[in-house]
Amino acid sequence: MAALWKVVSSVRTCGVRLPADRFSRISSSFSSDSGSDQRPRTGGFAAAFDQQSELRRRRESESSVAGGSVSSPGQDHSFASLLRRSPLIQMGPAKDRVVIGRIFHVVQDDLYVDFGGKFHCVCRRPADGEKLQRGSRVRLRLQDLELTARFLGANTDTTLLEAQAVLLGPLEGRDARENQNQD
Amino acid sequence: MAARALTKGLWGLRHSRLVTVGHPCGGHQYATAASIRSPQLQIDDATEKVINQPLEKPDFFRVSELFSVKDLFDARVHLGHKKGCRHRLMEPYLYGCRLDQDIIDLDQTVEHLQQALNFTAHVAYRGGVILFVSRQRQFGHLVESTAKNCGEYAHTRYWQGGLLTNAPIQYGPGVRLPDLIIFLSTLNNVFQPHVGIRDAAKMNIPTVGVVDSNCNPSLVTYPVPGNDDTPVAMEMYCRLFKMTINRAKDKRRQMELLHGLLAPSTPSS
Repeated sequence: MAALWKVVSSVRTCGVRLPADRFSRISSSFSSDSGSDQRPRTGGFAAAFDQQSELRRRRESESSVAGGSVSSPGQDHSFASLLRRSPLIQMGPAKDRVVIGRIFHVVQDDLYVDFGGKFHCVCRRPADGEKLQRGSRVRLRLQDLELTARFLGANTDTTLLEAQAVLLGPLEGRDARENQNQD
Repeated sequence: MAARALTKGLWGLRHSRLVTVGHPCGGHQYATAASIRSPQLQIDDATEKVINQPLEKPDFFRVSELFSVKDLFDARVHLGHKKGCRHRLMEPYLYGCRLDQDIIDLDQTVEHLQQALNFTAHVAYRGGVILFVSRQRQFGHLVESTAKNCGEYAHTRYWQGGLLTNAPIQYGPGVRLPDLIIFLSTLNNVFQPHVGIRDAAKMNIPTVGVVDSNCNPSLVTYPVPGNDDTPVAMEMYCRLFKMTINRAKDKRRQMELLHGLLAPSTPSS
């Protein structure tokens, strides 16, 4: 998305027509903007945009004739496509990934945080965490999505029904990016 | 297992019907089709119509409109346990395994859930007693309030050994057993199959159960492969069962009113 806006702003300042191959790569990366702009045609960028949208529409109609099922990338009808585009799958291995969670239960010093996985994680309240209450959003570094281990003599793994994550701090927007992470 | 093969739930419904229509005694009765007819013909015609009409369409209560794949996906129903916790018999219901976490196939879940909800609706329509069972302490209150809201029963505490199998002695003679048991989690607190599944199978009580990737789906009549550990998923199941049961009961009241008013005249839907 950042790449798209950088290119769009540069085109607006230069006022020249984009080369077709660069634009087609960018247009394939966004999904909902095609055909929805109502700007008056001033030439240059607008003409290039219309041309590329038309090409893309033609390409999509050809692929749907050939047997593709998704009409627009925003609407995923099948479970397979929903799964493939879900944040959990796109994230990859959970080790050391930073995610945002929400506290849904507090027991004195223990914070139960739900970050969108199958299980929640339980973190201890940090020393300066007085403002972390039920409903606050926090940043976590995930270690494991589910704590399981196979013990000697067992047929199946024993599971703790919990995830493990390290609490990095509350979600503060731009301030959090400037400060270093406090573990 | 045979009951599951007859998808429209006719067989289970015949049993439920025998229990509900004027038979207050406990236990389940076995009777052939010939003994169902009652002597009073006039009242029986309207009752027959009211009872048999839902059996004509495959989805009379339109339970398939209550949810979609996207709803189940957003409720994280497809997330299973880790590969090491997998039960061998759940393998047909799994879509795959991603980085050691099992993913449940939601296309199959949708079909199973539709069948389960349809069966629940038919049992509720015929005035059957439904029992919600879950031994998960995290969702005990949710299950109990769900049961209360749809006018049915719940058992989320310790299951005494003879609850179903020794009911006439433990609770007095003439106890009516549930006509359907819905397990919102088929495991107990030590990760073993809940005793109620085996007991319901012994007493010929059909069961609906949400089976996660570490559960045994064998004895459950209508298993629903899905996540049973996340609050969002459990709230979704509770909401769906509550809506189905309420819908079925409202439909029954509506049909009775309709036929009660128009019993001697034109046949109407």
